[in-house]
Amino acid sequence: MTMIEQLPVINLLALLAMALLVPLLRGRSFKTTLILGLCVLLGVLLSSILILYHVHTEGAFYYHFGGHSPVFGIELLINEFSALFTMLIIALVTLVYVYSTGDATEGIGENEYGRYYILLFILLFSMFGIIYTNDLFNTYVFMEILSITTCSIISIKRKKENYTSAFRYVMLNEIGSLSYLFGVALLYMITGYTNIELVHGAIQQSWPLYSANVVTAVAFMVVGIGFKAAIFPFHIWLPDAHAAAPNSSSAILSAIVVKVYLLILVKVIYSVYGVTIMTALNMPLIIGLIAAVGMVMGSVFAIAQKDIKRMLGYSSVAQIGYIVMGISLMSVAGLSAAFFHIVSHGLMKAALFLAAGIIIYDRKIRRVNLFDGLGFQFPVSMFVFGIAALGMIGIPITTGFIAKFNLAFATLDAGRGIFIVIIVISGLLNALYYMPVLISAFLRDNPEKQRHITFEKAPRTMLVPVVVLGILILALGIYPDLIWGLLESAVLSLQ
Amino acid sequence: MSFFQSLLDHINYLGAVALFVIGLFTVVTHGNLIKRIMGINIMGTGIFLFFVAIGNVTGGLPPIIDPAEEGGTFINPLPSVLILTGIVVVVSITVYSLSLVVRIYETYGTTDQDEIAKMIREENDND
Amino acid sequence: MDDLIVKTVVRIIIPFVQLFGIYIILHGHVSPGGGFAGGTLIGTSFILYTLVFGIGPAKKKFSHRMSEFAESGGIILYLAIGVVGMVVAGSFLTNAEAGFPLGEAGSLLSGGMIPLLMIGIGIKVASTMVTLFHTLIEEETS
Repeated sequence: MTMIEQLPVINLLALLAMALLVPLLRGRSFKTTLILGLCVLLGVLLSSILILYHVHTEGAFYYHFGGHSPVFGIELLINEFSALFTMLIIALVTLVYVYSTGDATEGIGENEYGRYYILLFILLFSMFGIIYTNDLFNTYVFMEILSITTCSIISIKRKKENYTSAFRYVMLNEIGSLSYLFGVALLYMITGYTNIELVHGAIQQSWPLYSANVVTAVAFMVVGIGFKAAIFPFHIWLPDAHAAAPNSSSAILSAIVVKVYLLILVKVIYSVYGVTIMTALNMPLIIGLIAAVGMVMGSVFAIAQKDIKRMLGYSSVAQIGYIVMGISLMSVAGLSAAFFHIVSHGLMKAALFLAAGIIIYDRKIRRVNLFDGLGFQFPVSMFVFGIAALGMIGIPITTGFIAKFNLAFATLDAGRGIFIVIIVISGLLNALYYMPVLISAFLRDNPEKQRHITFEKAPRTMLVPVVVLGILILALGIYPDLIWGLLESAVLSLQ
Repeated sequence: MSFFQSLLDHINYLGAVALFVIGLFTVVTHGNLIKRIMGINIMGTGIFLFFVAIGNVTGGLPPIIDPAEEGGTFINPLPSVLILTGIVVVVSITVYSLSLVVRIYETYGTTDQDEIAKMIREENDND
Repeated sequence: MDDLIVKTVVRIIIPFVQLFGIYIILHGHVSPGGGFAGGTLIGTSFILYTLVFGIGPAKKKFSHRMSEFAESGGIILYLAIGVVGMVVAGSFLTNAEAGFPLGEAGSLLSGGMIPLLMIGIGIKVASTMVTLFHTLIEEETS
């Protein structure tokens, strides 16, 4: 195996080794840990870009652990899909990491700074593992590592409401994971493999013989992943959990972690079962209906919220509805639109949480009706917040508009034009809760009656990532072709 | 008669599904937080029983190599190995939830879900 | 706990429990069990000590330094063996192709790298169980 083909495992080992090193560096100043972490993240980013380039020029490759055949061993599959999404995840996490160096220590005790970063690196390790792996049971193990670390990050601040929200998060996530595992058990029963490609081959033969088994397995797996990805009726844990977490981790949770579970859903639907079985079970219609209800109800609940982080949490539920609708169309155009929305929602939601985080860091206010006139005292953050909010509503020149546009076309292509009405209604509902924040920030007087613009007093490490995210949102809105080609090749590599 | 016969043949799977449903019922409806954690464990045990029952081959020997004997059908060892990992995962989740319950008990003084919800509602009303 | 009978019995039993745990760890490739089960046994023996004699003496026997060393040591041993496989033979955690000697099936010194991995896992699991128990007990009394 050439050196480049060892890079995925080197990525995983580097992230795990960094998590192991943090407690050993406790004697020195905290800056050493931060700089070393940034070097590791940049190294992994570089190697992910190299892997993506290698996969594009030479094609997908497998990595067998221990050299065992995939019948009993674990295998990693590196194709355009995994290479692209790992690169996007590490890029976004690097930006949030730079932001968090200014802010993660707020509300956390003195000797617990290191714990946050240990959890962050193990979180990255598990996300990379989920995306690379080609084995269903291995996905379960990494999924559980991911859920323990996110729970720990949520409950790292010692406030009262964190504990109950973290507890509810654990319970609901566990029900989801165990349902997913039950689905894997049913699949193992009829096919005898846990490797995704071998299961795919065997299911095509067992489907006529054991259709009850396959239907039950599909139901358990979709419901299980639905619990973890906050698809509409199972989204109860999300607003509390994202509101209680520290600011930079709310960004990571809402923008990245939930998307990884949606990527598992994509892998299960397309690589394990295949489009023929899913259409035979009427799943496109069922999942599409659930997604449509989620798109509307998520926004409806968001309108009633008074805390800005809870509002952003419910808005995530609505946007996840968009992505699931794109997945449910079972076509190349639909899936590409869903992937594009995964990327654009990741950027926009991260920008929203980080910008709100700067304001919370400085002013310690979180209620939406106290945002009057803050546009003059925090011009950069509120400007980026404004761009991201306009993107969520779907105004042109932001990436949100391109995502919704493509999703609408994909629904028309698949013959479900009715859903366009729901997309438009949901966009209007988005406006109903984002516009009041922007209007009160820029057009009302703040308590100090200040009318001239003063620059905010936040550290530079917090402002630069926010500005970079704003620029990326506009850039992808004007030139979506920067990523569109890569996304389409990722979709095609899944079939 | 053949209905009961097939029931007895698949008694392992039925037991596993029964455990899963009992665990799920406990997690969803019970008020005490610690009993919910136990419900998660029971669900996990049901699924692991299901997995191991899949690997069973009628008339098979345990999959341990004895240098004296040769041959014979062994039962499938792969599910048992998978379950070993699964048990460790469920144990670590249990440990994490129990430490959360310890903190909740210190903060609210009770482990009953309804009383905690009432206390939170009173706090929010006073806000 | 001040009961004389309990203390004496526990003092006699704990070495046997630990010996059984070590036996299960070392025979992970020959009989059922392996690192997880054996590590849990050794961890349970320490927890039994804590329950009977109190947290003070238990912390002297299994201090924070030792738990840090055990936990990091377990993972580093596992990763090191895996990387040896990666460097020599090309895949992480290769067994026979990386030169680990495979004895004859069924004897104690066989299976290549598996006994070494089991030792690493056993140490780590034991240390984790004890650390978690001590952390939970400490919160209660402080």
